[in-house]
Amino acid sequence: MTLFSVTRKNIQGNFKNYLIYFLSMIFSVVIYYTFVSLQYSEEIQKSIQSWETMRSIFVQASIMLILFVTVFILYSNAFFTKKRKKEVGLYSLLGVRKKTIGKMLFYENLIMGAIAVLIGVLLGTLLSKLFTMMLLKLLSSTINVSFSISFEAVLNTLIVFSIIILFTSIQANRLIYRFKLIELFHAEQEGEQVAKASVGAAAGSIILIAFSYWIVFHPITEQQLVQLSLVLFGIVAGTYLLFRSLIVYLLRASQKNKSRYYRGMNLIGTTQLIYRFKGNARTLTMISLLSSVTLCAISVGYGGYYNIEKTARNWSPFSYSYISKNEVFDHQADQIILEDKEHPVQGKLDISVIQVNGDISDLEYVPYGYAAKSVPTRLIAVSTYNQIAKVLNREENLRLSGNEAAAIRPWQDNTFSDYVGHTITLKLSEENHSIKFVKMFEERVLGWVSPDIYVVVSDRLYTDIAKQVKPFVYQAYKVKNEKSTIETAKKLEKLLAKDTELSTFYTMYTKELESSGIDIFLLGFLGLVFLAATGSIIYFKQLNEAYSDQERYQILRKIGVSKREVLTTLSKQTLFVFLLPLVVGILHCTIILKAIFGVNLAEKTIMIPIFMVMAAYVIIYLGYYVLTVKSSNNIVNK
Amino acid sequence: MKTIVEAKRMKKIYGGKGNVFTALDEIDLTVREGEFVGIMGPSGAGKSTLLNVLATIDTPTSGDVVIDGTSIINMKEEQLSAFRRDKLGFIFQDYNLLDTLTVKENILLPLALAKMNVAELERRVAIVADKFAIGSILEKYPYQISGGQKQRTAAARAIVAKPSLILADEPTGALDSKSATDLLESLKDLSEQDQATILTVTHDAFAASYCGRVLFIKDGKLFTELVKGKGTRKEFFNKVLDVLAALGGGASDVI
Ligand SMILES: Nc1ncnc2c1ncn2[C@@H]1O[C@H](COP(=O)(O)OP(=O)(O)OP(=O)(O)O)[C@@H](O)[C@H]1O
Ligand SMILES: [Mg+2]
Repeated sequence: MTLFSVTRKNIQGNFKNYLIYFLSMIFSVVIYYTFVSLQYSEEIQKSIQSWETMRSIFVQASIMLILFVTVFILYSNAFFTKKRKKEVGLYSLLGVRKKTIGKMLFYENLIMGAIAVLIGVLLGTLLSKLFTMMLLKLLSSTINVSFSISFEAVLNTLIVFSIIILFTSIQANRLIYRFKLIELFHAEQEGEQVAKASVGAAAGSIILIAFSYWIVFHPITEQQLVQLSLVLFGIVAGTYLLFRSLIVYLLRASQKNKSRYYRGMNLIGTTQLIYRFKGNARTLTMISLLSSVTLCAISVGYGGYYNIEKTARNWSPFSYSYISKNEVFDHQADQIILEDKEHPVQGKLDISVIQVNGDISDLEYVPYGYAAKSVPTRLIAVSTYNQIAKVLNREENLRLSGNEAAAIRPWQDNTFSDYVGHTITLKLSEENHSIKFVKMFEERVLGWVSPDIYVVVSDRLYTDIAKQVKPFVYQAYKVKNEKSTIETAKKLEKLLAKDTELSTFYTMYTKELESSGIDIFLLGFLGLVFLAATGSIIYFKQLNEAYSDQERYQILRKIGVSKREVLTTLSKQTLFVFLLPLVVGILHCTIILKAIFGVNLAEKTIMIPIFMVMAAYVIIYLGYYVLTVKSSNNIVNK
Repeated sequence: MKTIVEAKRMKKIYGGKGNVFTALDEIDLTVREGEFVGIMGPSGAGKSTLLNVLATIDTPTSGDVVIDGTSIINMKEEQLSAFRRDKLGFIFQDYNLLDTLTVKENILLPLALAKMNVAELERRVAIVADKFAIGSILEKYPYQISGGQKQRTAAARAIVAKPSLILADEPTGALDSKSATDLLESLKDLSEQDQATILTVTHDAFAASYCGRVLFIKDGKLFTELVKGKGTRKEFFNKVLDVLAALGGGASDVI
């Protein structure tokens, strides 16, 4: 027998394992190639106005992908190797020289890798066109997508995968030297001991997770990095212990209830799960963490895209606003805006504003880069505010007297604290003046400036302070169809280039559209990849499990368990394995969203997109579940 | 007495296309309620195959098996499973214990599947565990116990639900003579007191002497049959030895 014919026999005998490994490699190549060819696509570069900044985002995302495909390929390689240890041991036992076996495994892996790259690039070419179209659609670009293979993308992919495949090939070569024969034969039995659950570890899991959730909301240190590491460590370790010990412990506890445990297939279902969980703790941990990262990422991205208009309106509440310099300019600007007949003016205001320094140490929020004792603070008279509210269609008729004031929450304030009841002190040249907040608005009134502290004060106070500090005036316009005022916005930008704090809704809107469009695309892409990967990992794991359970179900069938009962218990067990990481993932994600991104989940505009993302995720995940149950059932219930 | 098992011209062919092997060749067999029947024959004669077909674990290639008046050909999968669960106890040649369950859980599995209440279940398990002297290993897992202990566990599982038909494939193969005698005595009790019908495969003439009737199989065919009748066990034992000698070629395989 030549080495070649042995190898061929190998592949035939282990076809399923080869196929799974091979498909995983192709999958990785397709994903990676698709992504980098987007990065090199001229159509996309043309449609993105700020391509240079976006490029770095693409590069970062591709680095994440490299990490991901590396881990994924190594994982499937390990899985594949484990399945083949016995076979390798057999060759050795039959007297094939170690060197020959090593060479065989090396070339086998190398050839499979090369073919996978070839197929992957071909498939990726098709997919990249699809994704380019999707991205351009998100960016509302009208450029047509041509059909082309990007040389740079191919080169990039080749380099990355050559390294990965060479590494795994060398590992395959070393396999025969790394293990003793007896270890190669026992590979399949690893991780199959019956799990014992320690109370300490089970409690530890709860404590770790609870602790990290708690410090998410009550930071214990000022240092972001330390804080973040603590949270991460708590969540990762806690989740691992959860799967390794807590679940096993709970299942063991459920065995104590004999009248439930000794009833029908519960006996089988529970023991099978206990048996499984400990061996799979690492995989399940990885899956729940991956799920939560994916969910978070897509939620944030989609939330951004979903709320573009709202965000843009917060950046620039008026269609146009700028600080008036002199009458000539004002007149010119006014002409430009009035000439634009497609966007008739709905309201125009002169907004008088005073800027003084204020001591805001009574507030929880401190603007970045400022000391709370002295922060530039902008004042607006209450009558002006009411006018603004009217033009911007906000139901508000605010009355303030004396030292009463109303706060407008600064854009970057994520503290959720209520300002009502707090006081700030305005530092005037003659004397300091304390004002007290009686009202708080979430919606902003003028274009964003740093540090963005706007306070509404009574008309009396405003005129008093105006005697000491000279006010300046914003010209603010609200027009119809403000999303499409591209020409007017451009003209105004040309006219009012400097020091006018010109802010146009159109510019903000397109900027948001572009960046969130790309965000959602990248995050969605990565999310999809992660989802596919997590789904596949569980799928393969369960299939593998089904093979080793085959005999047990065979025995059960012999003693009178019907096919339907086998299917039922199989579905339940699989559901448990699928659902648990998902629930844990969703829980982590919710907390992370709330804490790190300051997402207020009760708010409708945020809840809807997040809910949609989760629903989509769950549906795809359930698809994997159904597929897994079907395939496992075919294996154990023949 | 009524007929429990009736096999008619039962045939079992393994393999296909060019590589066929006839494991059972037109076997006719009738077993009545309460009978204790032994099956003997050389290795590879088709004994396990016969039991498997009777147990509805395997299907005959042709012919029919009627159990308790119903032909298994007409039974649906659900009915067959229900039959195995409610009526049948099988002591497998290779034990077929579940390695994820303790000895105790293995034994009580048929009772759990029948959804028996816990008190009665525990009582039954205690009785059979006592009968087969495995009370001390109840909490162990199958990989922690010896072959003989596994066989006794398998026997305990087969009889714990008091099935009306017990099929045993070399139930004493891994046992010392004391344990073997105990097991055979309890099988005999079941057939005499509970009217359980028992078919047991054995290579051991001593074990066969417990039976009321012994069938001899060779190359998938019924070779001959011995009935104990009025004689003593000792006489029957000698007759069995005679037939085994007459079986010829396989004799060296047999004992
Ligand atoms: N699944 C199968 N496929 C092909 N041939 C089989 C199969 N099962 C059994 N056989 C063959 O059928 C014949 C009868 O097998 P069986 O297991 O019934 O023998 P047995 O009488 O129980 O032998 P032993 O005393 O060794 O247990 C044997 O020759 C065996 O090789
Ligand atoms: Mg046999």
